[in-house]
Amino acid sequence: MIDFEEELKKFRPSLEVEDAEEAINGYQNTMDMVEMLMKLSDRTKAKEEEQE
Amino acid sequence: MVCYKCGCRLSEHDYCTGCGEDVTLYKKIMCMSNHFYNDGLDKATVRDLSGALVSLRQSLKFNKNNIEARNLLGLVYFEMGEVVSALKEWVISQNLRPKKNVANNYIDTFWSNQTRLDAINQTIKKYNQALGYCYQESQDLAIIQLKKVLSYNPKYIRARQLLALLYINADEWEKARKELLRCCHIDTNNTTTLRYLREVEQMLAPEDGSKNTSKKKTGSGEVIRYQSGNEMIIQPVNGKERKGASVLLNLGIGIVIGIAIARFLILPAIIQGANAEISDNLRVVSEQSDAKTATIDEQQQKIQSLSDENLRLQDELATYEGTDGALKATDGLMLAVGAYLQNPDDVETIAGYMEALEQEEGAEEENRTPSFTDLESKFLAVVSERLGAYYYDIGFRSYNAEEFDKAIPALERAYRYNNTNVDALFYLGNSCRQSGDTDRAKEVYAQVIDNFPGTNRASRSETYLAEINNENQPAE
Repeated sequence: MIDFEEELKKFRPSLEVEDAEEAINGYQNTMDMVEMLMKLSDRTKAKEEEQE
Repeated sequence: MVCYKCGCRLSEHDYCTGCGEDVTLYKKIMCMSNHFYNDGLDKATVRDLSGALVSLRQSLKFNKNNIEARNLLGLVYFEMGEVVSALKEWVISQNLRPKKNVANNYIDTFWSNQTRLDAINQTIKKYNQALGYCYQESQDLAIIQLKKVLSYNPKYIRARQLLALLYINADEWEKARKELLRCCHIDTNNTTTLRYLREVEQMLAPEDGSKNTSKKKTGSGEVIRYQSGNEMIIQPVNGKERKGASVLLNLGIGIVIGIAIARFLILPAIIQGANAEISDNLRVVSEQSDAKTATIDEQQQKIQSLSDENLRLQDELATYEGTDGALKATDGLMLAVGAYLQNPDDVETIAGYMEALEQEEGAEEENRTPSFTDLESKFLAVVSERLGAYYYDIGFRSYNAEEFDKAIPALERAYRYNNTNVDALFYLGNSCRQSGDTDRAKEVYAQVIDNFPGTNRASRSETYLAEINNENQPAE
């Protein structure tokens, strides 16, 4: 049985044109797996150099 | 594929040939990103937009610089009606690869048509407003707004799902089902849509059978509902036929219904036909009556004209009768002339006609025609001497017999027909004197004296005139 109130909470306001700029800029802050890999690689190298 | 460290092109080895970096994990990440992109592409091809959306997002989580995955994600958003999200993805894609990017074309399509962009923005605002109405429990307003939104942007999945949810909440299952089916047409495998649709199908066909047909007895248990394809069929339950009294009752009801049909459907038609026939007959009779009335009027006008003509002729006749003195006088003169022509010695008859002519002459003197006067004068020239002698004889004998009433007119006529007869004039004066008309006697004596001077009759007239004058003088 569908609970109307609960289902209604799943609907979010749609992104308006004025908000698009902010969403686009937010893209810069997201991190993908490649970036995480690069950071991990950098940290690993840094630790290895410290140990040497 | 290039090395994320030095940018050198990678080979089949697990390390970079340029910098020696281990790229095993990197290669796996890139392969996973491409795998999800391919998966998204496959799903988008069969219109599983929701599935494609998940796969493409997954692809971008592995590699956010996957331009193809981002462009396809934008397209999927656009197809689902999420235009701003689509624009966002295309703009990011454009920033990542400014040239030779299909996202440029998509963006140019939008920015070149500012009106369409405004309409899309208004659509999104209305959707958000409708969502606000839902939270404020104004579902009716929300439905109106969502209908407007969908009229502008029919592919807007979220708005259509929300509208279906509102219909479900209002127990309008058929409407909800229609909206959800449209959602399925756009996005075939949307989880929310399918969940709502299953709920709606259950409400419409709670006892869903294996052959997509089901039976449901209502509260009263008199009908069966079942789903056949997309159609909801409601069928009455087949009960046993009732026999006996119910048959007679049904027969009676049928007869009553038949009579009612005859009374309310057939009979009015018959009455209407009869009325139409009567109206036609009435119209024909009316036309005939009008024609007869016109004939009567025409005859009356003729009668009136004939009456006027009759009156006119009567007036004309009266006019003729008023002027018939000439005719009568002519008749008298003609009779006298006829009598003279028949017997010139019959003076008495001629005298009688002439006396009658005298009586008419006084009133019709002015109406005499010249021909009449001419005839009369010529006739008198012939018979005046005889008439004068005839009347003198009568007058003298009457004078001697002292019948002055007869003597006076006879002597007058005798003198008129023969004005040389002094005796006739003299005895006329004596007759007037003897009858006591002294004034007339004086006039006649004066006429004798004037017309016949020097005669014996004139001298005697002077004597008698003197005597009359002496008698009339008062005694001194």
